[in-house]
Amino acid sequence: MLDPETLGLLMQGLTHVSVQSLVMIGVSFVLFYLGIVKDYEPLLLVPIAAGCLLANLPLSPLIADDGMLRVLYNMGIVNELFPLLIFIGIGALTDFGPLLENPRLVLLGAAGQFGIFLTLLAALMFGFTRPEAASIGIIGAIDGPTSIYVSGLLAPHLLGPITVAAYSYMSLVPIILPPIMRLLTTKKERLIRMPYSQRVISRRTRILFPIVVTVLVGTLVPFATPLIGMLMLGNLMKESGAVERLTKASSNEIANTVTLFLGLAIGSTMVGTEFLKPSTLAILLLGIVAFTVDGVAGVLFAKLLNVISGGKVNPLVGAAGISAFPMAARVVQRVAHEEDFENFLLMHAMGANAAGQVASVVAGGVLLALMGAGGH
Amino acid sequence: MRRYTLGLGGREFVIDVQELAADRFEVVVGDQHYEVTLSADEDLDKASITPGIGSTGGSGPGQARAPAPRERAAGAPAAVTPRPARTSGGPGALAAPMPGVILELHVKAGDVVQRGQQIAVLDAMKMHNIIGAPRAGTIVEICVVAGQTVAHGDPIVRFAES
Repeated sequence: MLDPETLGLLMQGLTHVSVQSLVMIGVSFVLFYLGIVKDYEPLLLVPIAAGCLLANLPLSPLIADDGMLRVLYNMGIVNELFPLLIFIGIGALTDFGPLLENPRLVLLGAAGQFGIFLTLLAALMFGFTRPEAASIGIIGAIDGPTSIYVSGLLAPHLLGPITVAAYSYMSLVPIILPPIMRLLTTKKERLIRMPYSQRVISRRTRILFPIVVTVLVGTLVPFATPLIGMLMLGNLMKESGAVERLTKASSNEIANTVTLFLGLAIGSTMVGTEFLKPSTLAILLLGIVAFTVDGVAGVLFAKLLNVISGGKVNPLVGAAGISAFPMAARVVQRVAHEEDFENFLLMHAMGANAAGQVASVVAGGVLLALMGAGGH
Repeated sequence: MRRYTLGLGGREFVIDVQELAADRFEVVVGDQHYEVTLSADEDLDKASITPGIGSTGGSGPGQARAPAPRERAAGAPAAVTPRPARTSGGPGALAAPMPGVILELHVKAGDVVQRGQQIAVLDAMKMHNIIGAPRAGTIVEICVVAGQTVAHGDPIVRFAES
């Protein structure tokens, strides 16, 4: 016969089920659904959902002190290793050619970061502390690793909701952006054609670009050095062609492995009591604001450029300045193509998009500098 | 930028045509610069002047249709009729709007197409772009095969003279 104590031990899984953990398991199901059925950033949402599910099962050994998810978290989130490793891969996949062909697009990348700072102010009004508000604002960088990097340093307790907001909304770029783009532009503006410039960028320029950017940005915004350094390292390896195996490993094997680890570790931070707070809802809401403001600022700034240039800039391209590389650029091309099947803005949009990628990192560094965190 | 080297009356003219926008070109003859606006563009019957030499011939962006250098040197922009492929009519080629790889071809020589009909799918920056016919007409030549890498301005198909 089992005595009540033994029975209690055997049944402790069931007795430790809490309402919060049930709700979070439900949340993980939603994330699985979004990733698997809806195809929203599945590479990240599926591991995050798994981490969330596994961390919220009763008494989960995975988040005990030496549990796997905890180990992953300490290994790569606390010290920012994972987002930086992913950045090498992103750099190896990013083609800065269209930006080098049309350097003025860099302005659009800067405009696309406006949402960060407006959202920061909004978050302060919601009653978040300054580091928390900065971490929420960085959702407006619309770049997952940058968001993780900055919030990991400034407000690690908000990593879960911020990451989920950043990646979920990023996958919604094709849905969020087009209405903003159409609302803010006239049909005539959307029909502006921008011929491909066809400038040939020499190999030397392509190789020097990542080095020069690293030195410049690293000197001007030291807090951005880790991110820009890794991004540009990946790009240098790609453009130099000298280390093809490392380039491939960075953009495939390493990026894939780290994505899995990162997703699991982030998911494991979504534990019931921590996640189920009004602040999570506020973060999800502010995240949408950040995305929208970025898009609006990008398009409006491109309209300004269009006026200054005498009608040569299609304002749609501004929407690509938000980062979310390369999805935002594709959305721009798609919207322009719907209006005029002979209009190909893709290369210009890619240029603005790559600029947005760099600008996101710089903005992240500026935020860290303003908060006085992350350096030595 | 496209460079034309023309022999005319024993003299050689080097003319550079740079596309600034769909209807604006910078034309350099010797050390003279002209900014040229293209306001109309039509084929005159039996016009035998065709630009381009070799396989990249046709009317890709920035390719002028052999204007008379003498007139141009005199700064008569009306005589300059370079044209972008997007508005090409007549014996023209549909040119690749940006560099990429041709993934699919949906027409063959002899096909009659409507304006906007899908001609090819061009993979540029890992995005599949549908290339539509710039005008109605008959396809006389397919200039690429699926899987081929194209540069900006390379002809994809040629239309019959109408």
